[in-house]
Amino acid sequence: MSEVILSLSKATKLYAGVPAIEGVDFELRRGEIHALVGENGAGKSTLTKVMAGVVSLTSGAMTVDGVAVSPRTPLEARHLGIAMVFQENSLVPTMTVAQNLFLGQERFYNRLRGIYIAAQQFLQSLNFDVAPTATVGGLGAAKKQMVEIARAVLHKAKVIIFDEPTATLTPEEKKYFFDLVRDLKRRGVSIVFISHALEEALLLADRITVLRDGKHVVTDDASRFDRARIVQAMVGRNLSNTLYGVRKDKVRPAGRRVLTIQNLKMAPMVRNTSLSVFAGQITGVFGLVGSGRTETFKIVSGILKRDFFHGGEIFLNDKSVRYRVPAPAVKAGIAYVTEDRKVEGFFETASITRNIYLGLLAKFPGGRAWLSRRERNEVGKTWIERLKVRAIGDEVKVVELSGGNQQKVVIAKSLIQDPELIIFDEPTRGVDVGAIVEIHELINRLADEGRAVVVISSYLPEVMALSDRILVSRQGKVVEEFSAIEATEEKIMYAAIH
Amino acid sequence: MKHFRLGQQEIVFAVFAALFLAFSIFLKGFLTADNMLTLLQNVAVLGILGLAMAVVVIGRGIDLSLIASLAVPGGLVLQMVQNGHSLHASLLAAGVLAVAIGLVNGWLIAYAEVPPLFATLATGLFVAGLGQAALFQLDVVQWSDGMAGFERLGQGSILGIPTSIVMFAIAAIAVFVLLRQTRWGAFIYAVGDNAFAARVTGIPSRPIVVLQYVLAAVIGCFAGLVMAASVNSMPTRIFNSTMIYDVILVVVLGGIGLSGGRGGVVNVIIGTLLIGTMLNGMTILDIPYAGQNLIKGVVLLIAVITDTILNPRNEETAQQGDI
Repeated sequence: MSEVILSLSKATKLYAGVPAIEGVDFELRRGEIHALVGENGAGKSTLTKVMAGVVSLTSGAMTVDGVAVSPRTPLEARHLGIAMVFQENSLVPTMTVAQNLFLGQERFYNRLRGIYIAAQQFLQSLNFDVAPTATVGGLGAAKKQMVEIARAVLHKAKVIIFDEPTATLTPEEKKYFFDLVRDLKRRGVSIVFISHALEEALLLADRITVLRDGKHVVTDDASRFDRARIVQAMVGRNLSNTLYGVRKDKVRPAGRRVLTIQNLKMAPMVRNTSLSVFAGQITGVFGLVGSGRTETFKIVSGILKRDFFHGGEIFLNDKSVRYRVPAPAVKAGIAYVTEDRKVEGFFETASITRNIYLGLLAKFPGGRAWLSRRERNEVGKTWIERLKVRAIGDEVKVVELSGGNQQKVVIAKSLIQDPELIIFDEPTRGVDVGAIVEIHELINRLADEGRAVVVISSYLPEVMALSDRILVSRQGKVVEEFSAIEATEEKIMYAAIH
Repeated sequence: MKHFRLGQQEIVFAVFAALFLAFSIFLKGFLTADNMLTLLQNVAVLGILGLAMAVVVIGRGIDLSLIASLAVPGGLVLQMVQNGHSLHASLLAAGVLAVAIGLVNGWLIAYAEVPPLFATLATGLFVAGLGQAALFQLDVVQWSDGMAGFERLGQGSILGIPTSIVMFAIAAIAVFVLLRQTRWGAFIYAVGDNAFAARVTGIPSRPIVVLQYVLAAVIGCFAGLVMAASVNSMPTRIFNSTMIYDVILVVVLGGIGLSGGRGGVVNVIIGTLLIGTMLNGMTILDIPYAGQNLIKGVVLLIAVITDTILNPRNEETAQQGDI
């Protein structure tokens, strides 16, 4: 029995040639609780998915109990004794707890009474207060998690991996969860958990590993970490990264107040958030995934609806507005450039010019009952040149373009609507380096023209490089505001994590 | 880099040409003036219905109530005239009924968010039942003297072309202009291609969905009038026939993808030609009804499979679902 139960060495996983993790070494000791921390996109999820057999390594080696393995499916990983508890849990909501526990292991003649008795005994042996006959869909987040954990233990898991286990729990439930995890540890189970909450990692873990940009930064005993050291390890990237330039020494002054949000609420994602956006400058919004930043601005642009009661207020140019669909918001001068262009960005059967022309038609229908091929070609050409969209022809379908050019078309479709307030949600996600520079230049130009620009990003250097003002969102709420001059990566990250 | 790709419409047109040629050579009584006239007349109504279905399918929907929209408003005209109302008033009533069917369909689908398959299945049943229970005295509504002159919508010829074909052509041109030349047409394509993106762009996507179904019902009603005029009666039991499958066959076979935003009027015409020829040939061959259904079923399956291969589901359709 060696001390190390699971190890990865030189683990690399490429997605379409881009490394999600690169040369990562990781060791999990028998019976330890090991926390994985890092920014969004640091590679935590990929690393755990490799261990759980959800994705397989491009190169590198993995061992379990000193034996080289390479699980290709979650089932293979389970046979090796590795189980993963996902954020969106993988239970069947219409089945009972017992049915879920024994899912996939039923005997040919599956007597409900039999599995209820077995489940009851098993849950009692774990001290879990869940009724085996309860329907899973009606359980709270904490109890669902208990069922997931019970299933992992039932499968004789030696290693249990949690992906952000506490994100959906209330404080009391969290406390209970911590006790559960410690109890599992006593039973000799090794635990890996991903967390954005540093206090939890410090409290619960025996050891902590910090990842950054897909690379391993440091692994050490939790007792030798404090909050400051973790944050520093999370953000301390090399400054030779010329793409995002150096810190700003000058910011654009705030113009007229264009957008005011007061106590906006949409349970459970947006909780009483308040903020303002001004003309002629870029307002950066930073927050980790699930901090409600996207949802807040989707409410502003009419894509989502705020709560009906006590939903708060939105003022556009000091006039109270409530949009139930995006069309009136677009008419009022708000444009939202989506973070997910494939799903809600462009029209894939349509050409570049047609995509752009549709933006024009949607905002200014007056006098355009009949389509004009000439107008379409003219505006298409203008915007293709202005945004430097590179394609073999103006009539190429957008789906055939590269990510950066697709993003430019989506942006053009919004800019042709001449918006007063333009919201970029992750404007450079899945975009090549050359296009990132061009899109950043464009965003700066829009602010110089006097428009109110909002950039939502979970990539700190991008927020730092673009913003004149930085808002930090955490748990559905804007919690901190910095001027770009005073902001540092450490300060922002410190505000964003809880 | 542009490859020459044999699209679905070219393939289907080639199959049509081959079939037509084979029937002309081997099938006695196919290539006669009489039969050509029957073929064209049958094809005309099927083609107009295909246009109605195309509008909806391009917008990523489906309208199973189309045959009810064909039979009930058309029958209503004949019945009202028989009961002594004027032709104008009867036509107006039929128009109102058709628009109402479309509005109900559209509202159910766009605002109540019922899947189009079930919404239109239910409204179709309801409208057909309404016709049989409350509006018509007999299953076949007969022609009456008040209808004099109206038969010119479906009989005779204009400039040597059978009138029903002219009607198909008029409907085809109208739908073509609407889909390709107007803002609403562009919006129908946009909503069918990616409803999320259309919404975010500021296109009034729900009114556009309602518009699709109203258009489909009105075009379906027009097909009913042409049909009534050409046979001098309205067999309202047509709702119970397998005609709706022929219409879907025309649209899918012609190359209008079920995932929306693809194809146009040309595809309907090609699909209509092939299906019309096939049905006519099978009738002359005297293939029994069951055998015809068997063949149609196989052809529809092939068409749907081809559609799935040519227009694979992507991330966006996977999230939003399609018909």
